[in-house]
Amino acid sequence: MIVEVERVSKEFVRGEQRVRAVDDVSLSVGQGEFVTMVGPSGCGKSTLLHLLGGFLEASSGTMRVAGNVVSRPGPDRGMMFQDLALFPWRTVSGNVGWALEVQGRPARERDEIAERYLQLVGLRSFKNAYPHELSGGMKQRVALARLLAFDPAVLLMDEPFGSLDAQTRELMQEELQRIWSETRKTVLFVTHDIDEAVYLGDRVIVFTARPGRIKADIQVDLPRPRPIEVKKSTAFFDHRNHVWDLLRDEVLRARAEESA
Amino acid sequence: MRKGLLRIAWRASSVLLVLAVWEGISRSGLVNPRLFPGLGAIGDEFVSLFTTGLIWEHLGATLIRVAGGFSAAAIVGILLGFVMARFALFGRLFEPFFSATYPVPRVAVYPIFVLAFGLGHLSKIALVFLECLYPIAINTYYGTRAVDRQLVWASQNMGASPRQVFWKVVIPAASPHIFAGLRIALPVALVIAVITEMIGATEGIGYLVAYAAASLSRAQVFAGVLVIAIVGFALDRAITLARDRFIFWQRPGVAIG
Amino acid sequence: MRRALEALALPLSVIAIWEVLAAAGALPRYVSRPSAIGAELWQLARSGDIVEHAAVSLYRSMTGLLIGALSGIVLGLLSGAIRPVAIFFDPLVAFTNPVPKIAILPVLIVWFGITDTSKIVLIAITTFYPCFLAAYAGVRQVQPAWIWAARNMGARADQVFLKVLVPAAMPHVVGGLRIALALAFILMFASEAIGTAHRAGLGFLVIFAESGGRFDLMLSAIATIGLLGFAADRLLLVAARRVLRWQPEVFRA
Repeated sequence: MIVEVERVSKEFVRGEQRVRAVDDVSLSVGQGEFVTMVGPSGCGKSTLLHLLGGFLEASSGTMRVAGNVVSRPGPDRGMMFQDLALFPWRTVSGNVGWALEVQGRPARERDEIAERYLQLVGLRSFKNAYPHELSGGMKQRVALARLLAFDPAVLLMDEPFGSLDAQTRELMQEELQRIWSETRKTVLFVTHDIDEAVYLGDRVIVFTARPGRIKADIQVDLPRPRPIEVKKSTAFFDHRNHVWDLLRDEVLRARAEESA
Repeated sequence: MRKGLLRIAWRASSVLLVLAVWEGISRSGLVNPRLFPGLGAIGDEFVSLFTTGLIWEHLGATLIRVAGGFSAAAIVGILLGFVMARFALFGRLFEPFFSATYPVPRVAVYPIFVLAFGLGHLSKIALVFLECLYPIAINTYYGTRAVDRQLVWASQNMGASPRQVFWKVVIPAASPHIFAGLRIALPVALVIAVITEMIGATEGIGYLVAYAAASLSRAQVFAGVLVIAIVGFALDRAITLARDRFIFWQRPGVAIG
Repeated sequence: MRRALEALALPLSVIAIWEVLAAAGALPRYVSRPSAIGAELWQLARSGDIVEHAAVSLYRSMTGLLIGALSGIVLGLLSGAIRPVAIFFDPLVAFTNPVPKIAILPVLIVWFGITDTSKIVLIAITTFYPCFLAAYAGVRQVQPAWIWAARNMGARADQVFLKVLVPAAMPHVVGGLRIALALAFILMFASEAIGTAHRAGLGFLVIFAESGGRFDLMLSAIATIGLLGFAADRLLLVAARRVLRWQPEVFRA
């Protein structure tokens, strides 16, 4: 098991209020598994990702990645942020090679690696462009290339395709699936989109409404490789409906809490 | 074609109108002609300022004060803004002080500076420094605080040390705000320098104009004002150009994809 | 509570150190000491001297501000809304904006002499600019969707202007007013300090006291200017907060 989460809880304190985002969550992920996490808004799934990334400290419990206790951010757990966090003052190539830069790798090596990964995501001809010149989908691909370029053991992805239009999103899902089959990284992927979760994942983890606990851990036994047409199959449908049924109660519960 | 010409004419109209009215008043004899020198007389004075070399001594003095006070304020202000943002305690101590004294006219302490530093450069540079410090420090402070947390996290995620995070991420990300502060401060530097020269000085553009007014060389007053106007304009252009070069990524670009 | 204490920590400690050092004779005479300044201020307030000067200064600055702000805001709003108006004013304003308006003072003195008029005109011209620019920017940044929604609901052009553009531009206008207010005080002091032949006003008082070696008086006058500037700004913020109740964030300098 490369990722081990043991009884992790996270509580946020804002003045007088205490909010329990994550409640006693335990989870194990094996090498090369693609795990997707779904849940209603505010259920703590993104928080769990940030905890694993080392950006937040758990209130209780432990987390281990490749045997090491998680305590601070580091390149072994590469994160793709919701807002992508591309550096607007660097070119595409500069962004992709950034991690290698701070690690002190020589310029020629960096450029080579950056080009390789830009080629992988199909953006090699844009290596000298700046982020603000790119469309949403292109920025996504740059962020993905940047993430892969420093070869993290685990990929943490926080609703990466959330801000894309439906068409681009489908293309990106297929692309990600293709890239993953080539690299076989361990991935933890947070999303709102159930179709996406089932399409991409080997396992789908369903979270409850806040405070977030694991409600279900579902194996997706759809064959790999998975071209996008898989989404039309009955098997896909069954999995998807199964997840939705589990999720529906939680979504309604979260909604009720909001209007309480 | 005609529409284009009309547009240009309309655009320039207000400026031309003002100039025309001016010349008209001057020539009409309605007002004491000495109060309203014609554009020609002003032009002559303006040229003679340069040909006699009178202008350089004074302009030079003013620019020294502007440059000295502004650069000192830039260095101290940016540093202070960073410290205030980085160490929360500093922020809580200094920020309310800055906010509260922002609207207080700090020019009023100029006489104290004169008593302390005399009528020369130092008292003026000190006041310019004090005035410019505010917008620079405050903008740097807010700009640094407003750096997107995800940018910092992303850099840490990629293995950057705290030092690298500061130099490679925080500073570039905060630079639009820092530049905004510098852009506000530069004209302030000029204004304060001119004011102090008018209140009490022995050289400087402000002194020149005030002296000309006092000695009733009216056309020279207008010529001097014109010089100040040009300097102000040039400084504004300079900082805009600098900003565009530095913060290139904020200029609107056309999406390729 | 704690934040209020922290906020006062710096100024209070400065005053305390000042008093101690002055009492020990470590500071030059012209800096005086807080206790002496306080006593002098009290005296002046009681005898009414300083009130006269303050009143004159405020009359000049506030009249100038009123004229400049009103014309600036109205013209700025109109320029933002009506293209031809913008085209007319824009070059004039853009060209003269970087010019430090204090440079006009000698010109005004030539025309009007050293009187209230020259000071008021100077302040009016100077405060015009931030108000104009802020009002203009405020209207320009109004989301087209709001205007379209208003038209969709049947609003005429003047209704769109008064009921959509003006309220939407208010936050910017307030920002401009704040800058204008600060400028009004700065120029009030400057114009009175330069044109001291006109023997009234706080700025004049500062210079007069300084040349007579009466440092307590000088510092009292300076303190009064500072207090007035501060109070005026606070008042503006209070008024602004009421007008901008719908805004999530309190306005910043």
